Amino acid sequence: MSYKIPMGPYHPGLEEPYKLDMICEGETVQDAKLHIGFNFRGIEHLAETRNYIQVIALMERVCGICSNIHTLTLCQAMEKLTGLTPPPRALYIRVIMAELERLHSHVLWAGIASKLMGFKTMFMTCFEIREKVMDVLAAISGNRVNYAMNCIGGVNRDITDPQAILKMVEALELEMSRTIIPIFTTSKTARSRCAGIGVLTLEKAVSCGVVGPTARASGLPQDLRRDAPYAAYAEMEFDAPVQPDGDVRARLLVRALEIMESCKILRQALSKLPPGEFHTADEKFVFTTGTATSRVEAPRGEVMYSVSWKEGSRNPARVHVRTPTFANMPAIRWMVIGARLADTPLIQASIDPCYSCTDR
Amino acid sequence: MTTSTMSLLESIPEKLGTTEPWVETGGAHWLATGALSVRELAKAMNELHARFVTITAYQLPKDEGFRLEYHWDLDGQLLGFPFQIAGNSIENGKIESIYDLCEAADWIEREIHEGFAIDFLGREYEPLLLRRGDTPGVNLRDAVAAGKENK
Repeated sequence: MSYKIPMGPYHPGLEEPYKLDMICEGETVQDAKLHIGFNFRGIEHLAETRNYIQVIALMERVCGICSNIHTLTLCQAMEKLTGLTPPPRALYIRVIMAELERLHSHVLWAGIASKLMGFKTMFMTCFEIREKVMDVLAAISGNRVNYAMNCIGGVNRDITDPQAILKMVEALELEMSRTIIPIFTTSKTARSRCAGIGVLTLEKAVSCGVVGPTARASGLPQDLRRDAPYAAYAEMEFDAPVQPDGDVRARLLVRALEIMESCKILRQALSKLPPGEFHTADEKFVFTTGTATSRVEAPRGEVMYSVSWKEGSRNPARVHVRTPTFANMPAIRWMVIGARLADTPLIQASIDPCYSCTDR
Repeated sequence: MTTSTMSLLESIPEKLGTTEPWVETGGAHWLATGALSVRELAKAMNELHARFVTITAYQLPKDEGFRLEYHWDLDGQLLGFPFQIAGNSIENGKIESIYDLCEAADWIEREIHEGFAIDFLGREYEPLLLRRGDTPGVNLRDAVAAGKENK
């Protein structure tokens, strides 16, 4: 006899509210339905009531983890509408901030995944390391969550001593390569809890249009930093790790390997930080009538902004945000079908979902 | 852009039966759709293995209706296809659904239905809970939000 198990919207296995209604036979999930919208704040509508300065601060609050990515994507779109080009130093600082944010996000996710695996010592280790990433972000921006780094035509703050930041990054890299990476890639606990569960096949990944580490863990080699480079990514050498298995372990491995790739990018960007201004010298600019789109590879995958403007207006006519979790979440249904009920909290967490982003 | 992506891009207008050229602006390659059916477009994108990205809906001023911009990614190139829906009344806000051809379009069609009260023909909706009560269009459609029109 089948029965329905609701998980959420408020549940110890979920970090943020959403609802997964699962139809089970015994301990096996037969089907699932997802419900979102519990964090809806009407941000797209609010954006139409904010001017070109205020809207940056507003969109920074779409997400509490990848706040920098949202302002970066928005500013890139607004630069297309104003014709402003950020100087090279600003583009490098944007890369540094984006990769630090990826590190912070991936290590945070590793901690949550460890907790859901029942590996609480690892959870504490990850959060200790994450604090050190936050220290680097605070050293650059003065803030721990909303960094207020991006502006139209560049960045708001310079990195005055890249060598000091480089030393902090090298210390972080050493610590991560000694703890997080070997444990996630070789530990029996991680393997037994993650291998072969929550499989998203390549075929299903393509049809659901999933993005980011979720796509790369199902064998899809897509990464906007390489496929459609923005900021200074065209000048960086890095790999986009891909795993073919599509299970929770593959998603774990992809993120673990990406942590090391982010450190590699950070070392390059900090060593080659070009001299000069960190903000365009053009103090006056006007928005042209039209629509501009911008895409960025956030820690969870592609973020896309469509920004529409009318010449002479101080406010955008429309700001549409497509977040990576919005693309990845429908795939959870296919990941949990056939899984054991006890594995579903870890499976849903394996896409590193952000419901605040998704609901906006 | 690689040569193979460029030739794929050049093959799309012919595949869709249009003579319109690609226009690269604002971060995307745009192709005017004219009388083209959105379902024909979705089929063509599937054949090219393009990745569906999203649909962006705009309410146009006065009674000009709505513009829906469909986006696909082809080897890192963002493609944009604008479709116009004439008239602002609830009855006129209709366009064919591509959900059965493109599973990834499911949630964004539901969101636009709830946000703008646009009906995607040929599909049913499960609520995303983004709307207030059961009034589609209350979030972003001006007339419904102001309480002047209700479904």
